[in-house]
Amino acid sequence: MASGLPKRIIKETERLVAEPVPGIHAVPHEDNLRYFDVSIHGPAQSPYEGGIFRLELFLPEDYPMTPPKIRFLTKIYHPNIDRLGRICLDVLKGNWSPALQIRTILLSIQALLGAPNPDDPLANDVAQRWKEDEKAAIATAREWTRTHAMT
Amino acid sequence: MAETHLIKRRKVENGESNEAIPDDGFDPDMIAAVIGEHLPGDTLRRLKDVSGGNLERAINMYFDGSWNASSSFPQQSNAFGPLQPMSSPRKRPAASSSSHATERRGEPSSVTATAAESGVDLKSMPGRRYLGAFGVGGWATRSGTSLLQHGQEVRIERQKMTSKPQGSKKATIVRRKTQDIVVRFTDPKGQEVGRLPQETAEYISALLDQKIIALEGTCVYAPEQIRTNDTIFLQLRCYMLREAFERRLAPLDSETTDFFGPKETEDERAMRMRQVGLVKLFSEIGLEPIKSNGLDQKSKRAAILDSAEEPKATQPDPEAEEGKELEQDQLDALYRKAQSFDFNSPEAEPADTFALNLRPYQKQALHWLLNKERNVANREDVSMHPLWEEYPWPTQDLDGNHIPPVEGAAQFYVNPYSGELSLDFPRQEQNCLGGILADEMGLGKTIEMLSLIHTNKSPSDYKPKKTIPGILEKVSTTLVVAPMSLLSQWELETEAASKEGTLKPFVYYGNDKKSNLQLLLSSKGAPDVIITSYGTVLSEYNQVLKGGTGDGGLFSICFYRIILDEAHYIKNRLSKTAKACYELLSEHRWVLTGTPIVNRLEDLFSLVKFLRVDPWQSFTFWKSFITTPFENKEFLRALDVVQTVLEPLVLRRTKDMKLPNGDPLVPLPGKTTIIEKVQLSNKEREVYDFIQDRAKKTFKHNLEAGTLMKSYTSILAQILRLRQSCCHPTLIRKKEAVADELEAEAAYDVANGLADDMDLNELLDRFSVESSGNETNANTYGAHVLKQIKEEVEGECTFCCAEPMENQSVTSCFHAACRDCWFSFISHERELEKLPLCPSCRSPINERDIFEVVRGDDNNNDEEVLLRRVNSSHTSAKLHALIAKLKDMRKTEPDTKATVFSQFTSFLDLIGPALARERIPFVRFDGSMSQQARKAVIDQFKKHHGGMVMLLSLKAGGVGLNLTEAKRVFMMDPWWSFAVEAQAIDRVHRMGQMHDVTVHRFVVEDSVEERMINKIQARKKFIASSLGMMGDEEKKQVWLSFSDFFFESWWWWWCADADYIGTHR
Repeated sequence: MASGLPKRIIKETERLVAEPVPGIHAVPHEDNLRYFDVSIHGPAQSPYEGGIFRLELFLPEDYPMTPPKIRFLTKIYHPNIDRLGRICLDVLKGNWSPALQIRTILLSIQALLGAPNPDDPLANDVAQRWKEDEKAAIATAREWTRTHAMT
Repeated sequence: MAETHLIKRRKVENGESNEAIPDDGFDPDMIAAVIGEHLPGDTLRRLKDVSGGNLERAINMYFDGSWNASSSFPQQSNAFGPLQPMSSPRKRPAASSSSHATERRGEPSSVTATAAESGVDLKSMPGRRYLGAFGVGGWATRSGTSLLQHGQEVRIERQKMTSKPQGSKKATIVRRKTQDIVVRFTDPKGQEVGRLPQETAEYISALLDQKIIALEGTCVYAPEQIRTNDTIFLQLRCYMLREAFERRLAPLDSETTDFFGPKETEDERAMRMRQVGLVKLFSEIGLEPIKSNGLDQKSKRAAILDSAEEPKATQPDPEAEEGKELEQDQLDALYRKAQSFDFNSPEAEPADTFALNLRPYQKQALHWLLNKERNVANREDVSMHPLWEEYPWPTQDLDGNHIPPVEGAAQFYVNPYSGELSLDFPRQEQNCLGGILADEMGLGKTIEMLSLIHTNKSPSDYKPKKTIPGILEKVSTTLVVAPMSLLSQWELETEAASKEGTLKPFVYYGNDKKSNLQLLLSSKGAPDVIITSYGTVLSEYNQVLKGGTGDGGLFSICFYRIILDEAHYIKNRLSKTAKACYELLSEHRWVLTGTPIVNRLEDLFSLVKFLRVDPWQSFTFWKSFITTPFENKEFLRALDVVQTVLEPLVLRRTKDMKLPNGDPLVPLPGKTTIIEKVQLSNKEREVYDFIQDRAKKTFKHNLEAGTLMKSYTSILAQILRLRQSCCHPTLIRKKEAVADELEAEAAYDVANGLADDMDLNELLDRFSVESSGNETNANTYGAHVLKQIKEEVEGECTFCCAEPMENQSVTSCFHAACRDCWFSFISHERELEKLPLCPSCRSPINERDIFEVVRGDDNNNDEEVLLRRVNSSHTSAKLHALIAKLKDMRKTEPDTKATVFSQFTSFLDLIGPALARERIPFVRFDGSMSQQARKAVIDQFKKHHGGMVMLLSLKAGGVGLNLTEAKRVFMMDPWWSFAVEAQAIDRVHRMGQMHDVTVHRFVVEDSVEERMINKIQARKKFIASSLGMMGDEEKKQVWLSFSDFFFESWWWWWCADADYIGTHR
């Protein structure tokens, strides 16, 4: 897209700034408008409450035909997010639809924090622990949040 | 015969004067022997004269006394046949040469110059007259001493070889090969001494055999001791025999053109031998004409002899064109000369009945036309037929003795081109009362001719009259012969140019042809103008040739005037159409053409032949002065002659001529040409690439195998497909396969409740019915979207967030987005080998089921909203581009009429329905239509109020039509040479056009079309002129020498030349 940013990306960016979603911030890099610094507040009543999680988001060349690439930068203990920060979320993979947007994707991720799904794990060890001893797992998650997401 | 000669010789030896009584069998001794007394010399001469040299009759006449009665005596028993005046019993007004129509019917033809009412009485001519003498070196066939002495008379004898009995094929061939030309000379005793040399004998033999001349010889020198093969010098005195002038000649008109054709008959051969003989003889005895057509005598004779060479053994293809092509600069030079039009020449006002206003230059044309037609009335002086030459009879013989003149016959006439002889003055019969109107296309040739028809009507005493051979003469009607596609235009323009009821046109074609023209034209309300096609002329001609009577047809009328429109239709003189046109009868003959010479000088000959312009309508003459010098590279001389032919005959002005004040001759409104670049859709591009790859492979394969020259047809066919696929992929597919597919698609649509065009209101009704019964989310949503669409609540595009959407389109699940977004999404998914799903409801979607929302037609019904299938198999990128342009045009200038040209009628088949879907009124004009249908279509287009589109095939609609009602031109596909397209564009941008004209040329980007426009059209001329002159082998060499070039270059060279070959086949 040497000719410039597609209208859609400009529009989405403008809207993210003009009508921000509570608990979510997304700001594009000045030198690369396809690259966003994202922070998501851990949802209330979740082990992540109080934490602010940093993510990076990149809009590939053929966006919105293909989904954005998103990764947690902040360490997080979650059955659907692995040690590298990669996220297991259907809408980021096969269920992506161009009708989805940055905003909706980030909302989905926020929702994923509120509702971990150990039956479709990405981090196997975390998921196993989650299944075997949910309380302990949640405690670890809180612990990690305090250590990594509250500084 | 031999005996009488002996008697006479004896007399000479006896020292008696023979009183210059010629040695032709009219022997005084013989008469004396019969009547018992010797007659005085003048009585003898008188007897000889009145009896025509016939001894037997002379004796009879002497006895019955009729020889002395008066100067008119019965001649019926003349051994040489009746000597009636040969004026034509039914002379046609305009037929300056003998008329072919009658010859066909087996009637005797006439030789115009042989005798006329006022002609010299042949009977007053002596049996022979001294013409001149020349020396020749004969060779001896005998040895001996004192065989001949100086001053001794010799006799010149022809002795035919005894022909072997016929029957065996071999004998005939042998005889033919050794054409007997031997001319012997004998001593006074009749014993052969020698023979004339071959080159003299060649022509002398023919003249002797045909009883044109008689020869008397005197020995000038012979060696005392003669051995075989010695040269004996003779003086030959030459006498012209009266029979030479009596002899009726075979017709010498159209058949001359076949003179060197495959089958020269014995008669024709004899004629040719005689022609050649006369020319050689006259040149040998140094006889010069006192009057001739002014061309240099020496070169003239050389030219005649040159062109009368023995016919070639090769059999020319009668339809093949002959003559060398003219180089462009030669043609230019020729035209420049012919175009020196004097803008100060006088004007003529058209008659009151003419309804149009003429421009000044058109009034000048009228003046010229009138002058050409009225020429005959003004001409008082009688001039000699330009083919003939006048010769004086010598007044002195060889020895300087005075020859008594014959009263009233001091000269004779020779036609060196045919060998005809005459004692009568060969009057130049009415020369061509017509000509060639060669104004460039668009200057109004038709209007000019119509003004002539109005202004120069036939004389008031004209009453149709039937003559003996079944020809209706004195008809006041003008016959127009035009290509079929122009018939109705002639009819319309005739009506438009005439005040109501003053000129009645009648189209004689197809069903209208049933009428009997003779009846029609002798009836009261006879049409003033009959319009017919070349095809009709040809088919009637064929009927007459087959022995039909032709009664009531075109060939049974002698028209007042004939006009051949687009006369290059007859440019090939050997074509049947041309021959048919030559035969039409009329007083005034005109041809209209923008290009009198297409590319050969012979093109012009055919026009001249039709016009019956003497002397040029004689092909021998034409060949002598134009073709032969031209082929001998004496271009200037040939072109000079052509110039003299053209000058009095042709009126030609071009569009870019300027008036003396600097104004253009024809101020035309401006013309803007816009190249509309079209991008193929992905699917179309796939098809295109596939065909291109295949074509390249074929090409490469043939190149490597060395079979390039042989395979051009198949490569040409592939290029054609390539060009077709630029228009619409369907064009290249088999009709059956397309039909099957269409059927399957239709079935699918029925099952899914879809169609190419869906009315939104109807859909909404359907949804509400379905929803009330079985309420599913999808349906509710569909209804919701449709309602939104209807109420013009436009959301933003799912894909690109555009708001409003560009060309809002919905899927079969009725989700909306920009049209192009849908397609790029679907193709993206396909590339990843994923099933494209609707981003909103995830139901499967496809390219075909994308429907564009079309709101209200421009002028009617804003309420209406249509969902129109974008990718119906009925559309293509180019078609879509055209429709978009036309829709724009209808919005901004709803009353504009436009023409759409394509070379593929199958493409027109697709454009038509597309226009219908858009409710754009249109008509269609193509080559398959009947004449009546064409007329109806042109009428409809011209008379329609408001905007309209005319679809035309480039071929059928490219020439002649006048479509100035339109001011937009859409060229759907480029042709190899732009000239063809330009001609089509000129249908609209021509005289009568009041508005600026915009031309849109659609060109598919990165395709054969683009190259055609950029490279081939530009280079075309060069290729045609350089490659065109080469033989196949040479051409191949040139190609091979280019083999360093990368493939592309080859490929386009090939394209260019493939077309060159294609169009020149």
